[in-house]
Amino acid sequence: MAYYLVFLEQRDGFISNVAVDVWNRVQQEATQSGDKVSGFVAGPLKPTALADLYGNGTIYHASDEALALPSSTVLCRILTTLVAEEACSDIVIGATVTGKRLAPCLAEALHASLLGGCTGGSLQSGLCRRYIYSGLVLAAYQPAAKIRIFLQGREQLRSAFMSPDRPHCVFFDAAPFFVPHDNLFIRSITAGDSRRSIAEANIIVAGGRGMGGKDQFVLLEELASLLGGGVGASRSAVDEGWRPHSDQIGQTGKSVAPDLYIACGISGAVQHLAGLSSARTVVAVNSDPHAPIFDAADYGIVGDVREVIPALIEEVKEVLEKK
Amino acid sequence: MNIAVCICQVPDLPSSVAVVDGALDLSRVAWVMNPYDEYAVEEAVRLKEQFPGSVVIALAAAPEAGKELLQKALAMGADRAVEVRSLPLQDSFQAAWVLAEAIRNIYGKELPELVLCGRESLDLQNGSVPAMLAGMLGMPFTGPVTALRSDGERLELEREADGGMECIDACYPLVISTEKGLNIPRKTGIRQIMEARKKSLEIISASVPPDPLVRLRSAELVLSRKSCCFAATPAELAGLLHQAGLFKTVQE
Repeated sequence: MAYYLVFLEQRDGFISNVAVDVWNRVQQEATQSGDKVSGFVAGPLKPTALADLYGNGTIYHASDEALALPSSTVLCRILTTLVAEEACSDIVIGATVTGKRLAPCLAEALHASLLGGCTGGSLQSGLCRRYIYSGLVLAAYQPAAKIRIFLQGREQLRSAFMSPDRPHCVFFDAAPFFVPHDNLFIRSITAGDSRRSIAEANIIVAGGRGMGGKDQFVLLEELASLLGGGVGASRSAVDEGWRPHSDQIGQTGKSVAPDLYIACGISGAVQHLAGLSSARTVVAVNSDPHAPIFDAADYGIVGDVREVIPALIEEVKEVLEKK
Repeated sequence: MNIAVCICQVPDLPSSVAVVDGALDLSRVAWVMNPYDEYAVEEAVRLKEQFPGSVVIALAAAPEAGKELLQKALAMGADRAVEVRSLPLQDSFQAAWVLAEAIRNIYGKELPELVLCGRESLDLQNGSVPAMLAGMLGMPFTGPVTALRSDGERLELEREADGGMECIDACYPLVISTEKGLNIPRKTGIRQIMEARKKSLEIISASVPPDPLVRLRSAELVLSRKSCCFAATPAELAGLLHQAGLFKTVQE
């Protein structure tokens, strides 16, 4: 029988969306197979922080103020001990910036098989199918160690797990894990602005070189806010300085998995498409009917983004009002 | 200051990767230095320029590691370039293991103050080696960093967080992975490349690493191509998206 430990990432006292997703997905699989699930969260929590978590299990909460912004070294030390004490077989971590830093530390410390970016398969099978070489090759990886670590993004379908049960929360004493001379100190976190990371957005409107300039992204901001989504960019738009690198989607940027991806003035280089392999519906707006983006799109329109987008904004407004 | 930089190479064009009978065929691939590793080499050389007397050693652990990869690191300003020769490496754990062993062999008990690695290799994109290497060397790890300032004893680092930026105070020793935006790697001209060719490349042989933790079972080429449904007008497009239920979540 498997025993899952879910790392519940906390930021500002709340559990991240990705972690809630991961928890519910693990609960769903575990309920079907009768497996055990526990969670771990570090740092002070707001009273309602665990409200979105359903199902049976124990959540270990290390509530120390010092863990509000934990270094991956401390987290790794705590989790290594917890996994050993509890004899967990599988650890599931959301593929956020923090999760991606933590997972390999933990894999090394526990000699565990790290499987990340898996696009299919269940946790039980352990087989991980993922894209490599810019999305041109689909590879199947198999864990070879006793303990497995899954780094899960939003590549997989979101779970609609509901249960009358609630996990119960117990205090975890993290004091023994602090080292007096920790040489990494996270001084501050400056949120670029209040926008959430595009890696978590369900709808993304992205612009490329075809946008023609920094100012034109206002159009995309408008369309995105209308749809409740985020704005992304291709590498050329980032290299032009029109958008920050944190908005870049593609091989040297982020991989995203939104329900809807609207590519505006993006030609569709293979490096950009590598970041979209998990997007569910792709819409392309481009003036070149032969642009490769149309081969990766479900819906397309040929035209100048500066004309198409304002018109599309009006049409979308109309559709949404009728609803 | 002693700085070690870990470098690897990736296919110049991913489309040159082939799959034969479920196994990867990389025989037609032309290799280049992994772009993230260029930021690592550049940052190491900049630190060396800031702190004269520093020594930068570039290490490449890849059975295919060509001369060109090591020579490029030398041309960019590394003092020494070492090829870590091993059996084919099957996963990030084995790669980190042979690098950790090589670093211990080269530096002995006095491990380098700084180990720099690219954030991930662009071919497989696991991004695991830097953190695993840090664990094996018993050094703290942070990354991927987009800014690095050092006064010789202390470091100020910036790294991307989800939806923001983190500022970090750190001191040596440290393993850091490098992200785009950290610097602009210098171009190497004919003169630098000719100079680099005069320097000797070192080879050290790795022991047989422990078993891999993850194995590649099979691979297939992805030939999926969606059939795009074209709309003639923005109104038609909005209608199609609405029909497909794509605006459903919007007002929830």
